[in-house]
Amino acid sequence: MNESTIFVLTFILYIIAAFFYLAFLFTRKESWAKTGSLVAVAGLVAHTAALVVRTVESGHAPFTNMYESISFLSWAFVLAFIIIDRKLKIPRIGPYLMLIVIGLMALASSPLMPKEATPLVPALQSYWLWLHVSVTLLGEAFFAVAFIACLMYLATSDPAKKERMDSVSYRCVAVGFPLFTLGGLVFGMVWAYKAWGTYWSWDPKEVWSLITWFVFALYLHTRIVMGWKGKRSAIIVILGFLAALFTYFGVNYLLAGLHSYA
Amino acid sequence: MKRLIKFFTSIKLAIVLLIILAVASILGTLIPQGRSLEEYGARYGQMAGLLMKLQLTGLYHSIWFLALLFLFAVNIIVCTLERLGPKYRRAVTPRIESDPKGLLVLKFKDRAKRNVPPDEAAAEVKRLLAGAHYRLKEETVGPRIHLLGRKKILGLFGSDVVHLGLLVILAGGIISGATSIRSNLDLAEGQVKSAPKADFEIRLDKFTTEYYPDGSVKAWKSDLTVLEQKKPVLSQTVAVNHPLTYKGYSFYQTSYGFNWDNPSVEVWAKKKSDPAFLRKLKIKVGERASLDDPEKTTLAVTKFLPDFVLGDANEPVNRSNQPNNPAAFVEGTRDGAPVFSGWIFSNYPDFAQMHAANDKDKEKTTDLAFELKSFDAGQFSVLEAAKDPGVPLIWLGCGLLMAGLALAFYWPTWEIKAVVEGAQGKSDIVFGGLASKSREAFAVEFETVAAALRKSK
Repeated sequence: MNESTIFVLTFILYIIAAFFYLAFLFTRKESWAKTGSLVAVAGLVAHTAALVVRTVESGHAPFTNMYESISFLSWAFVLAFIIIDRKLKIPRIGPYLMLIVIGLMALASSPLMPKEATPLVPALQSYWLWLHVSVTLLGEAFFAVAFIACLMYLATSDPAKKERMDSVSYRCVAVGFPLFTLGGLVFGMVWAYKAWGTYWSWDPKEVWSLITWFVFALYLHTRIVMGWKGKRSAIIVILGFLAALFTYFGVNYLLAGLHSYA
Repeated sequence: MKRLIKFFTSIKLAIVLLIILAVASILGTLIPQGRSLEEYGARYGQMAGLLMKLQLTGLYHSIWFLALLFLFAVNIIVCTLERLGPKYRRAVTPRIESDPKGLLVLKFKDRAKRNVPPDEAAAEVKRLLAGAHYRLKEETVGPRIHLLGRKKILGLFGSDVVHLGLLVILAGGIISGATSIRSNLDLAEGQVKSAPKADFEIRLDKFTTEYYPDGSVKAWKSDLTVLEQKKPVLSQTVAVNHPLTYKGYSFYQTSYGFNWDNPSVEVWAKKKSDPAFLRKLKIKVGERASLDDPEKTTLAVTKFLPDFVLGDANEPVNRSNQPNNPAAFVEGTRDGAPVFSGWIFSNYPDFAQMHAANDKDKEKTTDLAFELKSFDAGQFSVLEAAKDPGVPLIWLGCGLLMAGLALAFYWPTWEIKAVVEGAQGKSDIVFGGLASKSREAFAVEFETVAAALRKSK
């Protein structure tokens, strides 16, 4: 099987998982969510295989163009959700997350995204490509789960559910923030120093990572030191995730800079 | 005044600064930074002057942005120090004595009874806590034995270590900004140059460009030798992502260029009347070679332009030093007299047209056709030499930052306090627990300890 076949298989599995999760959402039967999570895990396994095949075929990390990068981001989203669901048992996030993942996979497979693996330009030939991109995107995936939890916090009026979503979003940020700091900022600085001779150049992508970091720092300080919880915290997380999203997509298409390759 | 000082040392200022820094940073990504006055004029019209005056066109290096960062640093120092004292006392000289009633209102609490004197019961509690890796402190006040068991005390200081890391990074940034040296070195093979203020020299021994099958660049490699008083001391191949570091200087492969002063070209000569006629000439620009034909034609390549365009007066002009449209000017002579000349193009082999020097030779010259098959110019390597004394502090700061985050999020401080009292060979144990984070995991651990204590022996 080649990479695009496995990619399509992954896509189908994610769609099936989303159906099971939606069935759970409407029937409230735990068994639907269990089946959904099993199918999502199967999808993740297939997706991992697709990424491995891609890596072997292209000879480099599977996130050097937009198609690869979005595919990897979806993989990270599903992985982050499965980890958080194992720990905190929050199948209710499943349907929304799977819908976002399906949207991302559809975007990745759209004709807008060139699929050919192109040879790596000299600047990207480094093991820091692996470390910098994978850890950053994994951190952003945890932000995504926190983002969904916060939207659900705002949408529900049930106090017990609100309490739960508030705690879930904090736990996700507690994982995502260190990962994002390590991958996005620290590894990014180390790599920039090795490749360009300067650890920080105020390039738009760097600045937007810093903005994202500021927003989550704001979240942690208002929450831990000033005791903010609930609605205001949820809004800050939503802003933080949108900043992360803009760092990922917006900077590439709207602002020019050193990160012009991906 | 007091309120002003209070504001400057408050967490509220930190929040305000985080918001202002974020907004200012966004502004800096919306306004292109560090462009020319003309570009801003074209983009913003009347506003351009105002933007430049407010330093919004070099925002991240502007006085007011640096002032914000300075204020941020001061605020971090003050806020951290303010919380550090109580935390330090809590870690080193904690209050061991606790009130049993106070323990019983904690979220995690329990009590147990023993048919042994208090000191024996206390010994049992100590064994249990030590077995669960709690560090113990003990104090006897009157009839009560107070026990304090704690683990992962360092977790208390996670946020302080994060703040210290940020300050170290900011300090590194200041040192970088004030002292770093950066300059481009263009080096042709064999050339020796020195980095600014360096007491050694760098020689480029060999420069190679490797290509992928599709023609895109795979790698630039510069074989460099470090010379101390003209003597080689170190040789290393530098490529993108693989700099050479020596005496605090680092040499980065950043780019390359062509040396068009003296290129060599390969020209093929064909005859329309004779398909079997083919001469492949490899000559340097400025040299001449015989075509070895019956007419005894000699060909000279007199000019070479890597990027041929026609200028305003229809004259050939070189647009750039990149080989976008390589063209060579060839001249044919017979018996020392010029007979034809013309431009030939590597990208457009059919475009070449030879002009006869006079009408007499027209017929004979138009029979010849030339193609510019290839060209070879020496490439020079463009390196960046940089010395940045702030860098070690940056890495130290990053290490502290990550260690602090790990401590703050994943090294939760847990405490179990117990009060043992009793008389006539009987004891009463009251105990309670506190967890700064990871309360679920702590609940499990507390329950194990509690279950063991509840079991009466």
